Amino acid sequence: MRLPLAALALILAALPAAAQEEFDLEGTVAMCVSCHGEDGVPVAPEFPVISGQQYFYIYTQLRDFGAGRRDNDIMTPISADLSRDQAKLVAQAIAEMPWPEIAAEAEEGDRAAAESAFTAGQCSACHGKWQGDSRIPRLAGQQSDYLIQTMLDLKHKTRANAPDMSNIMADMDEDQIGAMGRYLATLTVQ
Amino acid sequence: MKMIKTLLAAGMVAGAVANSATAQEETTSSTLYGDMQYVTQDMLTRADGDGNNFLHTNHNYAQTRYYPASQINTSNVGKLRPAWIFQTEVVDTMETSPIVVNGVMYVTTAFNHVYALNARTGEQIWHHKHSMGPVTTYCCGPNNRGVAVAGGKVFMGTLDAKLVALDAKTGKQLWETQIAEPELGYSETMAPSVVEDMVLIGTNGGEYGIRGFVKAFDTETGELKWTFHTTPENSVGVWETHDATGRDMLRDIEAEKAALAELGDPYETLGGGVWQNPAVDLETRRVYFVVGNPSPDLDGSLRPGDNLYTDSLVAVDLDTGEYVCHFQYIAHDVWDLDAVSPPIITMVKDENGNDVKGILHGGKTGHVYVHDADDCSLIRFSEAMVPQENMWVLPTADGARMLPGANGGVEWSPMAIDPNLRLSYVINLHQPMTYHVESTPYPEGKLWLGGAFKVIPEEEQWGNVSAVDYDTGQIRWKVRTEQPMIGGILATAGGLVFTGEGNGLFKAYNSENGSELWRFQAGAGVNAPPSSYTVEGTQYIVVAAGGNAQLNYKRGNNIIAFTLSD
Ligand code: HEC
Ligand code: HEC
Repeated sequence: MRLPLAALALILAALPAAAQEEFDLEGTVAMCVSCHGEDGVPVAPEFPVISGQQYFYIYTQLRDFGAGRRDNDIMTPISADLSRDQAKLVAQAIAEMPWPEIAAEAEEGDRAAAESAFTAGQCSACHGKWQGDSRIPRLAGQQSDYLIQTMLDLKHKTRANAPDMSNIMADMDEDQIGAMGRYLATLTVQ
Repeated sequence: MKMIKTLLAAGMVAGAVANSATAQEETTSSTLYGDMQYVTQDMLTRADGDGNNFLHTNHNYAQTRYYPASQINTSNVGKLRPAWIFQTEVVDTMETSPIVVNGVMYVTTAFNHVYALNARTGEQIWHHKHSMGPVTTYCCGPNNRGVAVAGGKVFMGTLDAKLVALDAKTGKQLWETQIAEPELGYSETMAPSVVEDMVLIGTNGGEYGIRGFVKAFDTETGELKWTFHTTPENSVGVWETHDATGRDMLRDIEAEKAALAELGDPYETLGGGVWQNPAVDLETRRVYFVVGNPSPDLDGSLRPGDNLYTDSLVAVDLDTGEYVCHFQYIAHDVWDLDAVSPPIITMVKDENGNDVKGILHGGKTGHVYVHDADDCSLIRFSEAMVPQENMWVLPTADGARMLPGANGGVEWSPMAIDPNLRLSYVINLHQPMTYHVESTPYPEGKLWLGGAFKVIPEEEQWGNVSAVDYDTGQIRWKVRTEQPMIGGILATAGGLVFTGEGNGLFKAYNSENGSELWRFQAGAGVNAPPSSYTVEGTQYIVVAAGGNAQLNYKRGNNIIAFTLSD
């Protein structure tokens, strides 16, 4: 679910004046999209799409990177520099941007392997039809290299901000994770 | 806010009239009370004897789910057929209790849609879709359990932690109020309860490190009148080592005391959600409710003490929200075997055979607990309705097997009683699980289980419908079902109980002996509590068939109303 633009103005109005004046929202977003893609298509295949991602998910990731619960050489320092209110503004602006269309192809057998892993992991109980909702990220049409990497990070707990996802990935092997990542990238964004 | 006020969106109503008698009555459209939709306090107070309406989530303030009409009964229930089927816009998990006021029915769906329907024909009167904020929380599906009605208003709690009041005639929103901060994991799935000028509502969030509460809001303005925090600032309690049934919970009290000295009282993130309706006693002006699990669910190391009042029956003063009494079933729970199914007020026999006002609660442990309403104390607990094994083995890193699994026993599903037969009707799950612990710090409002519950895939799962004599604690009859049961049950003066299953079957049993008298295949999981009502002299049974997200039962979008065919 997206916030209407009017809500952004509301959030802005609610911020203390100092935070608004000093914070260069446009410049910050421009910095983000230098990697995550001006047109939403990330500049490298292992970078995630964030344009059009769920507002609250983007915000919690920035918060978790900043607090060290999710550790990444690039994102941790960037996020640590943002206050909570600034992170909300950035998340809001990025969530408002359109999700890009990126051509993706799965390998033969991926679909069947992915579907059976989805059943085993009961993914649909939380992820529904993979379009995301508030706390749940959109995965349909996400970059496959990123998806595979982050699922492995969850499995090996190098990504430590979602222990329940780590638990689920602990039961998946690398072949299953590869098939799921490639297949999810081909799903249509609704 | 978006509003759809079309009377009959084409294709949305399948007016499946299965018998000609109903079809012939099509000419008259007035109800027993004309078109009056105003719900007075007197109607709400006397709902237990009302065989026309269904005004409360659990039929009356005592929450007996005992419907006093008997037109549909043991001798004719075999002729029960669908009168109409209404299809909602949302094909997803349904837990709504249909509310019926003078021929108008109110139902809700996942993601907070509300529909007003003509209870005789299934025609849509209005449809309201809540305009959802960007932060929602749901552990176990985007559920909603229905509305409360009072005056000319309809009340609903939302996934973004709001309470909204709608105009009963039009569905137009009159006011909304933010109950708590959704970013921290607060959200609403329960139906509110209305008493006089107050709307009572608790909160979800026991999986997110919230601080639970029951709040009372003004019906006219939405202003907060009182708050009862389910986790008091001193949540330590008495270092209880045994559960309500006398079993040792293997607590390491010394380690807990050391943790308490180091960490302080954990009440601020201790959980204790209340997400089912309270029972209301207008005689004593008390409200009785049960409080859910402590946060994080499986990791006790971060929350030393008994974790009051999690896993407890609690009574508070209706007018002020002040504490009256409590009884804790499991102190320092690390299995999520908490108290969820709504309590029932009814007369029970005490230890000496005297009639006293009692409170019944069906636990995830698989026992029906019987309390003295006066001081919340436990009179007895029933035989176990499901297998119990290894209680209370502590969760381990690799997982320890214990029965029941974390869904129970009895989940949120409301019980029903037949006060003449002195039986309570209870639906149960049998779902073997292993309990895993992994300590992680408070994640600021994200999911916080402190480990995992894992279903053991090789082991068989099933459910049952049990009838428990609350005067003795003995099981009178028990019927096994193919799948674990979740949703709810209704008893009627016709000698019947109605309940549905994940496989789509909706069944009627003889309430005295459990023999199956009727069944209907609904095409999607029937995992919601049934209601009953009477319009123009015809009794109906109604239930939602929308499946269940948590147990992954086939989803659907049907509200099905049944009547007798000739
Ligand atoms: C130098 C390149 C770079 C820049 C600049 C950058 N990012 Fe990232 N971002 C990454 C990489 C690489 C990852 C993947 C990190 C990981 O896997 O842990 C990432 C991950 C993320 C994620 C997690 C996505 C998900 O699906 O979990 C979010 C959200 C995010 N970035 C937002 C931002 C925002 C907002 C900015 C600007 C304030 C920004 N990024 C700037 C490279 C960058
Ligand atoms: C209990 C609910 C739940 C289940 C079941 C679940 N997920 Fe998740 N998943 C989440 C949540 C919540 C997040 C966001 C975590 C966060 O905030 O860091 C997530 C995140 C993810 C991510 C990271 C996305 C990103 O952009 O970085 C992937 C990939 C993922 N899930 C895949 C799966 C797959 C595949 C399955 C089934 C095998 C599954 N999930 C089952 C709740 C769940």
